[in-house]
Amino acid sequence: MQKKLLAVIVVIIIVVAIVAAIQLSMSPAPSADARDIMIGLVAPISGSPVGQDMERAARMAVQEINDAGGIHVSSWNTNVNITLVIADTINDAPTNAVAPVTRAVETDKVDLLIGGYGSAGTLANEIVAIENKVPFIITGASNELVTRRGPQGNYGGFGANGANSVSDSDGMSYMFHYCTTTYHYSKTVVDFFANEMKPMVAPDRNFSLAILYRNDAFGQGVEQAVKFWIQDENLPITLVADRNYDPTTTNYQTDLTAVATTNPDAVLVVDNPDKSPLIIKQGWNDVGLKTVYIVIENNQDQAFYDLIGSTGDGQLLESRFNPFMDPSYSTAVQAYVEKFDQLYPHTMPGMMGADTYDAFFIAKAAIESAGTIDKVAVRDAIETTNMDQSLIPTQSGKIEFSTGVNYHEILPLTFVEQLKWDEATSHLTSQIVWTPNSNSDLKQADFTLPTGYEPGQ
Amino acid sequence: MDITAPTIILTLVWGVAIGCVYILLATGLNIIFGVMKLVNFAHGQLLMIGAYLTWTITYSAGLNAYAAIILSMLVVACIGVAVERLTFRRILGGDKLNEIFVSLGLIYIFENAAMLIWGANSKQIVSPLAGLSLALPSISITYDRIVAVFVVIVTLIAFGLLIQKTKIGLAMRATSQRNSTAMLMGINVETIYMLTFAIGSALAAVAGGLYGIIFSFDYQVGAIPTIIAFAIIILGGLGSIKGAIIGGLLYGIVEQLATLFFGGVWGSAVAFAMLIVVLIIRPNGIFGEKGE
Repeated sequence: MQKKLLAVIVVIIIVVAIVAAIQLSMSPAPSADARDIMIGLVAPISGSPVGQDMERAARMAVQEINDAGGIHVSSWNTNVNITLVIADTINDAPTNAVAPVTRAVETDKVDLLIGGYGSAGTLANEIVAIENKVPFIITGASNELVTRRGPQGNYGGFGANGANSVSDSDGMSYMFHYCTTTYHYSKTVVDFFANEMKPMVAPDRNFSLAILYRNDAFGQGVEQAVKFWIQDENLPITLVADRNYDPTTTNYQTDLTAVATTNPDAVLVVDNPDKSPLIIKQGWNDVGLKTVYIVIENNQDQAFYDLIGSTGDGQLLESRFNPFMDPSYSTAVQAYVEKFDQLYPHTMPGMMGADTYDAFFIAKAAIESAGTIDKVAVRDAIETTNMDQSLIPTQSGKIEFSTGVNYHEILPLTFVEQLKWDEATSHLTSQIVWTPNSNSDLKQADFTLPTGYEPGQ
Repeated sequence: MDITAPTIILTLVWGVAIGCVYILLATGLNIIFGVMKLVNFAHGQLLMIGAYLTWTITYSAGLNAYAAIILSMLVVACIGVAVERLTFRRILGGDKLNEIFVSLGLIYIFENAAMLIWGANSKQIVSPLAGLSLALPSISITYDRIVAVFVVIVTLIAFGLLIQKTKIGLAMRATSQRNSTAMLMGINVETIYMLTFAIGSALAAVAGGLYGIIFSFDYQVGAIPTIIAFAIIILGGLGSIKGAIIGGLLYGIVEQLATLFFGGVWGSAVAFAMLIVVLIIRPNGIFGEKGE
């Protein structure tokens, strides 16, 4: 009996071994064409801390993907690694932003581009990707023209002869915007004031809003977007002050004095993290404009928190990614921050780095879905991306780019945080006090008026 | 926008406060030009270094920011001596283009060194008076701005006494009038040049410390103030300290009033338009001498 059992087991093992050997012999060998996938990172690495953050995030993503076995390309019958090609745009000025991308596309022959920092630089260098039909997942540049400047985006409303308009709809179909646009986050700001703050401070009148913005494409874009939404949605908001200033100045008292004469209920400050804190401090402390100040998401930066200090108590920040909350509002963000800290100790990750990190996984998924590195197939695969949201929350909970003949954008979910000064630790913390989606579980606390707040008129 | 008397007064206060910083920078530039006949486009970078040193001393030694300015002033004066001896001394008296290119080179060296040492992020010096204001009827003025004006007044008085009441000052004035004659009279002109550059650098450092307390700064902060300082010394008259003071105040006030009435982007434009008008009327500046 035992001998029979032993014999049966041996036969089974032999059969399984023969079947396995046959299977292996039938598996195709990796293609001779198989090679590393070249992905170009477009970022102002040598001229901007944000560019350096994008590079760190990119290298972390590449390392993770490669360590996990790389990208499976079914047409090559194998997994391959990513090779990162750096296209350093220095300070991202249009004069510096094009040549690195040209080199990446024409000399390094990248399969795909990821990055893009400022709108002006990206509008300049994406022309290279458009002309060469290279998929470009743009993780910065809040100007929606980066994907809407072609026929399918109605030239961004500027007509076929607009200064930035592009007639090549096929080339434009290779552009993908994985970032909030000026219109996305401006809507969040005005909707917050209209729906959350107005009932508290101006229940019987229009909400008085002042905008103070840097006089460049970025500042002007936000100002135009705010005006658009107030009008388009017929919001009960009156723009009582609309002032801009030279981006190089650090002296805002006079502009803030002028804003103070209009008695606003809140002030939207449009500048970068090295300037916004100064504006708020000069406004609150020097001019005595004790109001609610809100800054937009590019200020989600350690420099902002360090510079604003205790004056930031009660003030607001529109955001979509916060690495500073502990515990975090998102398990994905918490995990990202921990991994980032292991790889880059004592360095906080930034928002554009987070976009960039996600973009590498979008690219991986698209190439694996396409089964090839053929650019047309990869473009089509990115277009039909349907991944779960990652570091950047989206309105549907999925990463999806609009499809068909439309421009390719995601619909991110942005939120409003309120800052709180912790006397014990002498640090600012923040909590999410409002989201546009009332069903969202991101909200952590109710919005309260800052201590010493003086409502407008 | 409802412009009231308190609004105008506050705007004048802002103009005087920023004007005081410009005065210090312009005065330093003026004495360097007046004594050495040297055009130093890197003067604003000395302001930048002064701001960074004040910040570093304040945070690492825990010193009062205003005390840190004094230490920063001494260090930047030494840097000024080194710059004068190693670079400008070797080309002084030669082609003016050489001076321009040397100073342009120094701009890049200083800015890149600052970025490497302190990083690209902006900083601000927190003084013990941060957030405190003097409440007056209808307006309140921060103590930091009041102290800034006071520091500038004291510095200029000390500087004025040095120039008018000391042998060094006499030697500097003699050298500025005619350096060859000064040499014949036994004045060590090279030593005077070194001292002049040191004093000019020290004044820039004080301006930097005050600037860093009132505003934020980064490694590129020196560029715009340098242009404004040049505009002020031309407005006031090359070589005239009185002109630098009046020019600085005038520039600051006009800039802020233009900002109030026309918007921030017009501040510098209107101030420079005033410069052009003054130069058309008085080509040598308000207090300039003919032949400068």
